[in-house]
Parts: sequence; C-alpha cells; structure tokens
Amino acid sequence: MAGLLTTAGPAITTLAQRSEKAEQELSAATKDAIPVTLHVNGQKHNLRIDPRTTLLDCLREHLHLTGSKKGCDHGQCGACTVHVNGRRMNSCLCLAAMYQGDEITTIEGVGQPGNLHPIQEAFVAHDAYQCGYCTCGQIMSAVALLSEPVGPEDAEVKEFMSGNICRCGAYQNIVEAIQSVRQSTNRQKAG
Amino acid sequence: MPTTQEIPTASPIGRGTPRIDGPLKVSGAAHYASDFHFPELLYAVPVEATIANGKIRQLDTAAAEKMPGVRAIFHRKNIGKIFRSSAGKGNEGICIERRPAFEDDVVRYYGQYVALAVADTFESAKAAADAVVVTYAKEKPNVEFKLTADHDPDTVETSYGPEKRVQSERGDAAAAFASAPVKLDQTYVTPAETHVPIELQGTTAMWDGDHLTVYEESQAIFNLRSVLAQMFGLPYENVRVITKFVGSGFGSKLWPWTHCPLAVAAARQLGKPVKLVLGRKMTFQAAGHRAHTQQRLRLGATPEGKLVSLQQDYVYERSMLEEYHENCGEATSFHYSVPNLRVHFGRARRNIGTPSDMRGPGAVPGLYATESAMNELADQLKLDLVQFRILNEPKIDEGEGIPFSSRHYVECLQLGAEKFGWSKRNPDVGSMKRDGLTLGWGVAGAAWIATRDDAAANVELRDDGSVRVACGVQDIGTGTYTVLALLTADKTGVPVEKVEVVLGDTMLPHGPVSGGSWATASVVPAVFAAADNAMTALLNAATTTPGSPFENRKQDDLAFKGGRVFVKADGPGGGVPFADLLKRADLRLVTGSGRSEGIFGSKAKPKFSMHSYGCHFAEVTWQPEIARLRVSRVVTVIDGGRIINPLAGRNQIEGAVVMGIGMALLEHTTYDPQNGAPINSNLADYIVAVNADVPKLEVHFLDYPDLELNAIGARGIGEIGLAGIAAAITAATNHATGVRVRELPIRIEDLLKSSVLA
Repeated sequence: MAGLLTTAGPAITTLAQRSEKAEQELSAATKDAIPVTLHVNGQKHNLRIDPRTTLLDCLREHLHLTGSKKGCDHGQCGACTVHVNGRRMNSCLCLAAMYQGDEITTIEGVGQPGNLHPIQEAFVAHDAYQCGYCTCGQIMSAVALLSEPVGPEDAEVKEFMSGNICRCGAYQNIVEAIQSVRQSTNRQKAG
Repeated sequence: MPTTQEIPTASPIGRGTPRIDGPLKVSGAAHYASDFHFPELLYAVPVEATIANGKIRQLDTAAAEKMPGVRAIFHRKNIGKIFRSSAGKGNEGICIERRPAFEDDVVRYYGQYVALAVADTFESAKAAADAVVVTYAKEKPNVEFKLTADHDPDTVETSYGPEKRVQSERGDAAAAFASAPVKLDQTYVTPAETHVPIELQGTTAMWDGDHLTVYEESQAIFNLRSVLAQMFGLPYENVRVITKFVGSGFGSKLWPWTHCPLAVAAARQLGKPVKLVLGRKMTFQAAGHRAHTQQRLRLGATPEGKLVSLQQDYVYERSMLEEYHENCGEATSFHYSVPNLRVHFGRARRNIGTPSDMRGPGAVPGLYATESAMNELADQLKLDLVQFRILNEPKIDEGEGIPFSSRHYVECLQLGAEKFGWSKRNPDVGSMKRDGLTLGWGVAGAAWIATRDDAAANVELRDDGSVRVACGVQDIGTGTYTVLALLTADKTGVPVEKVEVVLGDTMLPHGPVSGGSWATASVVPAVFAAADNAMTALLNAATTTPGSPFENRKQDDLAFKGGRVFVKADGPGGGVPFADLLKRADLRLVTGSGRSEGIFGSKAKPKFSMHSYGCHFAEVTWQPEIARLRVSRVVTVIDGGRIINPLAGRNQIEGAVVMGIGMALLEHTTYDPQNGAPINSNLADYIVAVNADVPKLEVHFLDYPDLELNAIGARGIGEIGLAGIAAAITAATNHATGVRVRELPIRIEDLLKSSVLA
C-alpha cells in the first residue's frame, strides 16, 4: 500500500507542507476575493476566496481536501457529501462564504488509513465500492445515517442511501457494510 | 539463521481478499487525476457550441478577456498547432474523435468545443467561458431517431480498421428462412446510452521545456502517451501520463477526447500548469456514448425447436466525421448452433458527438436483440426458454470453425435455473402471483470475448522481505491493484500484505489497456515471468555468494517457495527466507522483468474460440393499479475462467447487473430535434439505477480455468455481466404483463398496454 502513496507524483504540495500565509496568498488570486473563515475537521482556516466559490470547490481547490468529489455539480450524485453541524449536505450546492462559524466535517476528518471509522472499515471488509470515486460521499451519508431516524430494514437503508449514486453498482455491498455496523452498534447497546 | 517470514499455507488466488487500496479509497487518500495540485495552477473551462450543425461566424472574446483573473481565451487562431494522431499496431495512437478541437470553424455536433477560457480560479474561468459570444451560421441538424443505412461499400473503414459489412455468413440464410416451418422477424432498438462514470473526465497538464506531464483519468495511459506525443510533435519518451486511480470509465476513458489536447495546448501557451475538468453536461456531448442501434432479427426453426436460420441486419448511428464501429454481431456467429447464418451491418450519419466503446460494446446491444429474439421464438414454439437454448448448443464455434477453449454455457443455464427455481415457472402470461403482485420470470444468455493485450511488468524482491510489483496498467475499479498483489503473492509465496503494487504511470513497464475485460488476463503472464526472473536472480545470488548456505549448489537443485529457498531434495520444511539471502549477498534487492505479447488483433488464425459465458434469470413484479414494474430478483451465473478475487469479482458482476437494470428500465440519451442537443444531459434527467432500485442479486461463478488464455486460466469479467440482462428483464416483463417491449428502455407508456390488469 505504501507504493500507492509514495508514487503519487513529483510536484505535489500537501496541505501539511503549506503554511497559513501561503494558503492566504494562494487563495487571494482574484481581486474581488472576500475573507472567509471556515472550521473544517476541527481546524480553523482563514481564507480569501471568490464569493462565487462553492463549499466543494473551496475544500478541494483551496484547502486541498480532495476526498470530497465533484460528480455533477448539481446536487444530483452525492459524491460531494460533507457534514455541516452534523447534518449531511451536498457541498456543491453550498456557497463557502455562507458556512462561516459552522462545523464542517469532510471524509478526511472521519478517519484516516490506520485510524478508520467503523463505517470505513466495513466498506473495506464488504467491498462496498469499486472505483472508489463516490465512496467518500457514500461514507459521509452512511455515517450521518447512523444518527438519523432510519428503520432496521435493508429497504429503509436503501431509501436513505439513494441520494448517492454508485455507477459501479456496489449497492448491495454498501447496504451490507452499513447494516453490519448498525447491528454491531445495537448489539453493544443491548449488551 | 533467524527466520523472519511466515510460510503461507496456500495460494491466495481464489480467496476473497479485501482490496489493498481500500483504506485509501474510504478515507479520501486515493488521489484521482483532478485531485493533484501544483503551484500556479490555472483552471480552464471550454466554451460549447450551442448548435449541432453549421459554422462559427464570429467569436467575440473581448468582454471575457477583460474579466478579472482571466489569463486567456483560446480559439482556433491562438491555440497553436495541434497535430492529428494515427493508430498503429496494438493500442497505440487511438483517438475515436480524430479531429482536434478548433481545427476548423465547422460545428458538427452540439457541445463541440469552440473556445477555451483559462483563469486563475475555476469561478473566473467559468464566468469567462459564459461571457464568450459566438454567432453561428446555423443549419438544421440531423438527429433523426429512425435509422436508415447510408450508402456504403461492402468493406468499410472503421476506427479499428477495415470491416466487411457482411460480417459472418454460412449456408444460405435467406433461403433457409423462407422455407423454415416456424419464423420470427422482429426489429429491436437500443437508444444512445451514456457511460456517466461519477468521476468527470479531465486533464491536468504541465510542461517542463519540451517534456509534458499529464494527469488524466485514462483507461489506457500508454495510448494517451502516444496520442499526445503525436499531437504535440514530441519524442515519445518526453510524454508522461499519470493515472493512480480512475473513478470508473466503462469505456468513456479508454481513448482521449478533444478536451485533453486543449488543456495541454493551453498549458504550453501560458507556461503554467492547467487543469480542465469537464462539467457533467459536457460528458454527454463530447466524451462518447453507446451508439443507438436498430437490429432486425430473422430466425427460422423446426417445430421441434432446432434453429435452421439466423439473420441479423443492424444499423447504428455514427458521427459526421468518425467511423466508430458498434459491433452488434460480436457474439452472433458462435453463440448458437445454426447451419445458415448471415450477419450484416450499415451505418447512419448524425449530427452527434461520436459514439464510442461502452461496457460490452457491440455485444451488449447485440445480445439484447439476439437473446430477445430467442425468447420470442421459444414462446412461439411453446418451448421452455432454457430448454430451447440447450437444444441449440453448438459443439464448436461454427463462425470460425474452431473448438471452444472452455465453454460451459449449458451448465450456466442449468445452475441458474436450479438456483432461481425456474422449474416452478408457469409460462402463461400474468399467471404467477405473490403478495398481491404479478410476477414475471425471464432468462437470457451472455457472452464476451476473452483475449490478451501486450503487457510488461517488473518484480523486485527486497531485503526487508517485501516484494514490489510494477506495471503501467490502470485500476479503474476492477481491483487491479489487488490482482497484481495476489498474482505476485501466489508466485513468490510472500503474504499479500508484504506486496507493494505500483501502477498507473508511463514511467513503469508498458501495461495493457483497462478495457475489453483484458487487463487481468494480460498481466498474468507478464507478472509471472517477471517474478520468475526475479527469483532466478535471487537463486543466482544464493549459489554464488561466499558463505551462503547454498554456495556452490546448482540452481536446478534449489526451489523458491513460500518466500524461502531450499534444497529440493530436502523438501520445503527447512529453507532460508529470501531476505536473509539478499542481506548475506549485500543486495538491497533483485529485480526481474517480464513481458508477454497480446493475442488481440493478431492476424494468425486462432486455434481456439475464447469467450466468457453466462446467463441471467430475472424476476419482475407488476402492479397494474399504478403501472409499476420493478426488478425484484436476479440470479446470474458466469463462466468467466478462474476467478482471482471472488469478493471483487462478485461485486463487479452485481454492478453490471445494476447497470443492466438501468439499460432495461431507465437509460436513454435523448437528442432534441430542434437544436441537436442531448437534452437530458445531467444525472437527474439521465436516470441511472440508485440503491433503492436494486433488488437482491445473486451471483455464481463456475470457476473453470481457461488455460488456453494464460497459466492460471483467468479471463476478464468486467463486461460479461451486462450482456443479456436487458433481454432477461424484457422477457420477464412480457411474462408478467403480456407486453413485448422491443425498444429500450421499457417505458410506462408501453406497460399501459398490458392486458394483465390485476
């Protein structure tokens, strides 16, 4: 697995390598930029961005949190799903400037390799993806679903997960992964 | 000597293994082409033609150029030279849309790129693209749905070389049909379908002098390298393509589209890296689609159900300039035994973006038609749909006159029937009920070519006991990272966790395309040869290093198994871990390279007919009160050779069935007759199956290795699962409703004709 990471490319600037100053300079490219403060994954970011910037593009292009994906830019596919104050949202339909002061969580804040959330672990164990592109959005929906009023049946999970399109069609495994976590959580509660 | 490695008890091949790239994919740490960032990166947004036929009269960029953050508005006069590319042997230099963007002022389809805005931010680039004013000399586009074949010679040029329009012929099909006691003559229509991978197509390009690096979600990085080298007049080795992860492709990312060289040219003109990611609408217009087809099937049979004649005459749409061939006859000539057969095709030009390969190209629409015709003829003969197929099972490939390498189609049908409970089927329309719903049961067969592309790989054995395998292949979601790890673990005996897999970069050994379901079959011989060569290098070190426990032994006396070297005569009980032998020889690592030649496109006549086979049994429920039809159950059996990773393999077949539910019930790209636009060019109007659309899916593999194809008998399984499923669903629909739908997708308007009212 190390190889997948180490060979990513020669000229990548990672978020960790960039100073806050550089971040501001980078995002102040347009004259009409406005100051925006976002709280993402427990970290405060002071940015200068174009007011037309969507939350999705802000996360991806300015904060380089690229786990949230663009699949349609219309709120139709769910690949951009993030949590705002614990609720799932299509970040492509949000303007970043409107979410100052809110707690934003992206997939990077849910779990990392070596420290995965139970839903992320279940997705790996149940092969609940193929290409992986919609996966982070699926997981953001699935994590939110755990605290939503969803009945115990597969059919209810399917309904609540139908805002996230998986063109590879891993739906059966996605439902299995989510149900395995819900059932083990219920068992723990019962115990 | 200390032992640092465990001996695995058995090969990991055939065991369900979670993907090794899984933790990256579930955490956002897997980097797809548009996830990479570079200093001074600029953003590009294309301007799309809003007519489908005509000429650009004027292009006014003045307002757009003055907008804040805008670096340039490119068009025909300032983009710089972009050459064409030409296909060579194998998968090199292939473009389905060969005309580079901006080559002339003629517009031939809606959404053709006419300009490109480049700015400091995506927002500025989008606003500037919208501010470019284009005036056109507009002519009426031809997007007519009904297809009539153009006048074409008997042999035509296609994107993949010359094709005879009479593709296959034996006996006298017309005469045999005329005299057949039982006949069927029907036409089946499939609409244009769009791939819609959730990852949008896009290119990030940067130059360093005359060296070009491109990050692109390509299913074929070496083809893209050769195309770009030609288009920009560069030495082949000056172009590097990087594709670490692909957000699926289904064929839409096999060959480059016109936006790619635009991003490269813009980066050249501006001297900075440029990122261009298509909007979803653009992917419907100018990034390929499955051609709309119209297929006339004429079948003749004896009253006992023996086929005597089969004719397939099909027409498909093509774009104004290109010759993409939708080979609907792919499986027709061999799938059933019939003495008289003729397969023939024609094409019809339309003002549309060029069609291209989409998952199971040709065979998927082709088998929808032929399997539908088989079902209709069986009903006419009052024969069971499964029995009718078994009655017409061929002994050899009658199209090529050669034996099958490994065909178990009858066993697929028998196992599927057993698992589904097919024997309980009452063939009368609307006769089966459950929970107040009317049930319909249908079946159809599947086939898809099995072949190999050229492939090369490199394997390193390292002194920490790990193994690295490298191949310039792509993982498009099929599990290629994990397949390479499993193959390497199998060959070297090192546990899967200790295998590092590197792929998706043209700096690596030349990998196969991830298309045609060939990648897995192609990498097997290359990886095995590379591992063998690395192990030979290790044995060489073990026998020549002073102080080695095997010093002065003959290499032939030694064996390498389970990650250890031992004397054959002593058996595998003892032995020395390879890492210890490397350390003793002061070697960090030993390497081995392996390559294998592909067989696809070879001019030599093959000895065997190689395909995967399968069948689907589908159940639908029908609620006449609200005209609701749902797929409620599917059982699929696949004869796909040896399955390397059944966990990912089953998932892939299920995913194909999901796409098949879409094909049967939901998907069609519709062109507006007024302006030629694909009007449902978004994911709310082009409907694909979502989680709630998908019922319980059951997949079984027969797991017979096809050893004519490679040493472990693995075929590819990416496409076979989509073949036939639509015909199984239309047969089930007929069984439930009495409505025979011959134009996909099944629409509610079709079902309102149902005679089954409760």
